[in-house]
Amino acid sequence: MPEARAALIAAYMERRPDLLRFFSLRLRSEAAAEDVVQDIYLRISATPPEAEVRNPGGYLFRLGSNLMLDRLRSERRAAARDRDWRDSHRTVSGVEEVVEDAPADAVVAARQRLAAVVDVLKDLPPLTQQVFRMHKFEERSHAEVAAALGISRSAVEKHVMLVLRRLAERLA
Amino acid sequence: MSGAGNIGGDDAVRDAAVRWFARLQDEAATPEDWAAFEAWLSASPAHPDAYERLERVWVEVEQPEAQAALAPATVVPFRRKSQVTRRVWLFGGGAIAASVAAAVVGVGLLSDPATTTYVTRAGETREVPLADGSRMRLNAETRLTVRLGRRERRVELADGEAVFDVAHDADRPFVVGVGDRDVRVIGTEFNLRRRAGEVALNVRRGVVEVRPATPGSAASVRVPAGRQFVHREGAAGGALSTTAPDAAFAWTQGQLVYRDAPMSQVAADLTRSLGVPVRVGDAATGALRFTGVLTVEDPAIVMRRLQAFAPVHAVREGDAFVLRRAGR
Repeated sequence: MPEARAALIAAYMERRPDLLRFFSLRLRSEAAAEDVVQDIYLRISATPPEAEVRNPGGYLFRLGSNLMLDRLRSERRAAARDRDWRDSHRTVSGVEEVVEDAPADAVVAARQRLAAVVDVLKDLPPLTQQVFRMHKFEERSHAEVAAALGISRSAVEKHVMLVLRRLAERLA
Repeated sequence: MSGAGNIGGDDAVRDAAVRWFARLQDEAATPEDWAAFEAWLSASPAHPDAYERLERVWVEVEQPEAQAALAPATVVPFRRKSQVTRRVWLFGGGAIAASVAAAVVGVGLLSDPATTTYVTRAGETREVPLADGSRMRLNAETRLTVRLGRRERRVELADGEAVFDVAHDADRPFVVGVGDRDVRVIGTEFNLRRRAGEVALNVRRGVVEVRPATPGSAASVRVPAGRQFVHREGAAGGALSTTAPDAAFAWTQGQLVYRDAPMSQVAADLTRSLGVPVRVGDAATGALRFTGVLTVEDPAIVMRRLQAFAPVHAVREGDAFVLRRAGR
């Protein structure tokens, strides 16, 4: 068995109760936590042989948290599809409009939020924009961004925090 | 938060959530960090609420329009250039171009022509006409930068694959920088790919010259029509071979053509072309060899066809398809 996978599975066995407790708290449901923790196992058992994981324990928590984010993404996509569908079908089936929330409002709201996101990002200092692009959209770790831009890791973290704070102020 | 308004306490909680989020996004976060985070979450019901809002924001920002609003990275893995303005074209979802003036590394020269960056995402290909009459067709997940100068037309292929149909202009060579090689043409049509440190060039018309990006560091190679040149970045040379040239261009027709290719490559290509994650379930599946033609269409249909052609089962897992060797 490749080393990284073995190390991850060992860490998983050791930390399974911690993971369950953590994700029960996050998801407010033990059943949902079981699903995520099971999913973590499925993912790590498919770890490619060339993988390298330096911090197996931390990796498990991050993996589970990313799985939660994936769910949010799927929900968003489904909501967007619904909106598009209702938007394009509303005129045709105008009489039959039985959707609870007014679809046009949802579309407008989504557009406004996007405009706010764009506003916030454009107003950021150039270096912060670069850090955020590399970390968020190019999926590089803080250490990689720090090395590429010649700044410290804690500086990277501060730039990411600045973006999050500005976004949260406008959106959350 | 139940309508508490923007009192100081809310801001403090939000800032604390921001700190946690940023720290835990990084792979250096230890199990002890996560335990401390758990303690913070349990301390007040406002804490998980604030954190969840950040998660939604984090996902919400993943929109092409948002990415286009950001200054483009100047530290992409090709040589830096000074420039006055940069533009990023992000396709998909009917997104329009965003023009971003940005302070970039170095001092811009006023005579410097604008540099334009084109980016395609998974599941999309794009045709890009250039001002000189040349055309580029970008495959999925491709990022390249174009600069039409007076002396030279220069494209930097940072990552991905594109077909170039180059308008003849003897005074202004068309050069594509790809990793540690420059591909030089006068007027021709060719497909150029840079993925995972490997550069592959297929020429359909004309002759293309490949030179090291650093002059004199390696020999130049002339690649005539109907030939393929494959070079691993960092290596001294490369392999010139005769291939069916149309196979390399097949993606422009929505087709993926394979001859004895590993299933891991098929999965990676499908992920890009379909815009849906396709993975191999284990190394043995990834090592299976595949020969055949796949048409890019509805993912479920592509998976059915793949199952008919190759000894694999495709299983849906969440958003993704996972390929596993059949009969096990």
